[in-house]
Amino acid sequence: MQEPKFALQMTDITKRFPGVLANDRISLDCKKGEVLGLLGENGAGKTTLMNVLYGMHQPDSGKILINEKEVEITSPSKAIELGIGMVHQHFKLVETLTVLENIVLGIPSNKVFLDLEPIRRRLLELCQEYELYVDPDAEVWKLPVGQQQWVEILKALYRNAQVLVLDEPTAVLTPSESDQLCRAIRRLTSEGRSIIFISHKLREVVEITDRVTIIRDGKLVGTIPTPEATQAKLAHMMVGRPVSIDRRPRQALQQKKPVLVMKDVNALDERGIQALKNFNLTVHAGEIVGVAGVDGNGQKELAECISGLKKPVSGTISVNDTLITDVVADPKFIGFIPEDRQKTGLVMDFSVAENLIIKEYDKEPYAEKRLLNLQNIKKHAQDMIKKYGIKTPTDTVKVSTLSGGNQQKVIIARELDSEPILDIACHPTRGLDMGAVSGVHDVLMKERERGAAVLFVSAELQEILALSDRIIVLFRGEIMGEVDGDTADAFTIGQLMLGQALEEKT
Amino acid sequence: MKTEKKANITTIPFLGDIILSGSRTLIGIALGLLTSGILIALSNANPLVAYGAMIKGAFGDIYAFCNVLVRVSPLLLGGMGVAIGNKAGIWNTGIEGYMYLGAIGSGLVAIQDWGLPSALHILLAVIAGMAFAAAWGLIPGYLRAHRGVNEVTCTIMLNYVAIYLTNWLVSDAGFFAESGAFFPMSKIFQDSAQLPILLRGTSLHPGVFVGIIVCLIFFFLLKYTPFGFRTRMLGGNPNAARYSGVDIKKQIILVMVLGAMLGGLGGAIEVIGLRHRVYSDFVTGVGYECIAVALLAGGNPVGVIFAGFFFAILKVGGATMSIETGVSSSMTSIIMALCVLFVIGVGLTDNHRVKKKSNKADAVAVVKQKEE
Repeated sequence: MQEPKFALQMTDITKRFPGVLANDRISLDCKKGEVLGLLGENGAGKTTLMNVLYGMHQPDSGKILINEKEVEITSPSKAIELGIGMVHQHFKLVETLTVLENIVLGIPSNKVFLDLEPIRRRLLELCQEYELYVDPDAEVWKLPVGQQQWVEILKALYRNAQVLVLDEPTAVLTPSESDQLCRAIRRLTSEGRSIIFISHKLREVVEITDRVTIIRDGKLVGTIPTPEATQAKLAHMMVGRPVSIDRRPRQALQQKKPVLVMKDVNALDERGIQALKNFNLTVHAGEIVGVAGVDGNGQKELAECISGLKKPVSGTISVNDTLITDVVADPKFIGFIPEDRQKTGLVMDFSVAENLIIKEYDKEPYAEKRLLNLQNIKKHAQDMIKKYGIKTPTDTVKVSTLSGGNQQKVIIARELDSEPILDIACHPTRGLDMGAVSGVHDVLMKERERGAAVLFVSAELQEILALSDRIIVLFRGEIMGEVDGDTADAFTIGQLMLGQALEEKT
Repeated sequence: MKTEKKANITTIPFLGDIILSGSRTLIGIALGLLTSGILIALSNANPLVAYGAMIKGAFGDIYAFCNVLVRVSPLLLGGMGVAIGNKAGIWNTGIEGYMYLGAIGSGLVAIQDWGLPSALHILLAVIAGMAFAAAWGLIPGYLRAHRGVNEVTCTIMLNYVAIYLTNWLVSDAGFFAESGAFFPMSKIFQDSAQLPILLRGTSLHPGVFVGIIVCLIFFFLLKYTPFGFRTRMLGGNPNAARYSGVDIKKQIILVMVLGAMLGGLGGAIEVIGLRHRVYSDFVTGVGYECIAVALLAGGNPVGVIFAGFFFAILKVGGATMSIETGVSSSMTSIIMALCVLFVIGVGLTDNHRVKKKSNKADAVAVVKQKEE
């Protein structure tokens, strides 16, 4: 008999939830030894489709074939038996157990006593083979997230998964860990295993996959071989309209009016370690200064110092010649999109309307004569919902029920609608899908045109390159280098991010 | 079909909230009473007869009901003191101590004859009580805000200090204690410092009305003022509150001290309205019952009124129940505890359900928007 060509075929899968058609006749297939990218915006139906594959949901109609034989996957354990492995975006590990114990969990066994030794040996072999090194006896919660991901992958490999689904695997990885993952993926496919790679980072999809299947609003858009795909084309297919995170066209700055001026600022982080060192920075009106750098090199402290949340140990920070000495919560002065919207930017239990005024609740027109004016608050909320296209049933629902992109819109509406002199945008697109990212970029470009000084902090190089007039690169709390936005290239910035100073131009 | 309808009612803001949280609480209480009924049956009494005795004990005649009204007064004030802390994300468990301090403060004013008109004397006594309690509350407030000390540990420890301080004052302090008394107590309060009795033959003093008014004031404060917004923001997300320019240290202290003042007011009214002396150990756990009241009310000021009355009814009726059916008097505390546990339990499961439902509703809304 001929060796089957396809490891997995899903045909016309339809899955309906009450009121939602999550998957509408979606088909995809994956050959042996192939990496198939699965692209789609948040809520497009990727996760539902994969849950159908993993036996967590039963499809309303459609067929699944493994090795070209039709199968019925009634439960995850059936899926595992059929050689399907899944690494969820949110890990399914028992954090208080060791790596080895997590691997053992769920392995069917009819022995009374567990003999861990052969399992340990096999695990170490797997680590070696795929260069995914973890300590089998380490407790999972002590491991960095990257290594937790390895544990998930090893768990699937231990069960001899032939089709491995990776759901947004790189979201939590550092660049070098991503490279490591890529090597492991190559290794796996060379053995004839198949990978389904879910992501919305287009660059990675283009780099790693052999073919890409794109879905949108629960429907199949199409499947194309990766060599024929460009990032722009994929983005277009995914969002349904042309989007780009290419460099935005702009007019050169006419005059330089300094807005944010930082002089010799030194600041400590939460652990008391120096986070900013003799930091000098000037941002002018009408320019976007991109702050690049690997996370944790002082970006957070930089934003906190400017907004007054953190007091520098020494040095001065002024905005429009006003010295920053205390928390600035005046969106007419500084608009601050914080790094973590749920932890800092929003009160999750408050309504959308309330969240839109958490900085101005005690100012007119929201408070008059020491009383809240609920009508004005409501009217403002409805204006903002319309103006910024916030998708919410009403202004009274809790902000926690909104999607990430809409939560971010609430923050943007609050911080930028009063036209601040200085905008601080920290990772404003983190966790958002393509359409939303492009929306945020539009907003920031408009802010620039309005004449605001914009400080744009991001870990995504592509975004920094797309938006910035000037780019500064942070490394261990210092500016490693500054490059012009028009002439910058990813390679130079990457070098600076790793701490290699630019060579003196002679 | 029926559940559909309920979902519609609950989507009406405010009214829906009240119906939802009210029905949740009632279910919890019903379960608590049911479980307690089993325990009553186990102690060889008919639960129905016992509950009947309890209702008779609380509502049987006007004297019984006045007794409920007298008992409810400290529960309302103290319960509100805890509830305002809840709203700000703080567990102000020091009500017991604030009540003692409030009693001491008002007692110091009330035992002296200043030759003042009664209204003024009472007012001074109340203010002194609240001031003493406020000063007491400043200690855990400051420690929590500036030193990060856990407020629960701190306030409970201070409760003991307050109890022993009171014991010392009423037994050994010559200027305050009654000499040669059979039980440690303060000198008797001047007539001019005693609250008027509203109904002859009962001990009904105006405390209950003060309590209700205070709860309503706080309901209004929390919902309609910037102060309330700040407080709720602090409780909802302290990081966001700080980011929005709230001086959270100041707000924590303010909320702690406000809670302490309410507790102090409760203690002051108890002594100038009912006891007319400060006795050692006179609060006997009411401060802790106030925590249960706030829990039962879910931190809602209007809920505090209902929860306070519920507890007072149980306490007054419980005594009658114990006498008539021979059930141990500690059964009252058991009933209270079970009701609180069930209300919290029902609330938790209900939250999950509501969350699921709203997620679903959201998905539907998103789909609709897409179709448009």
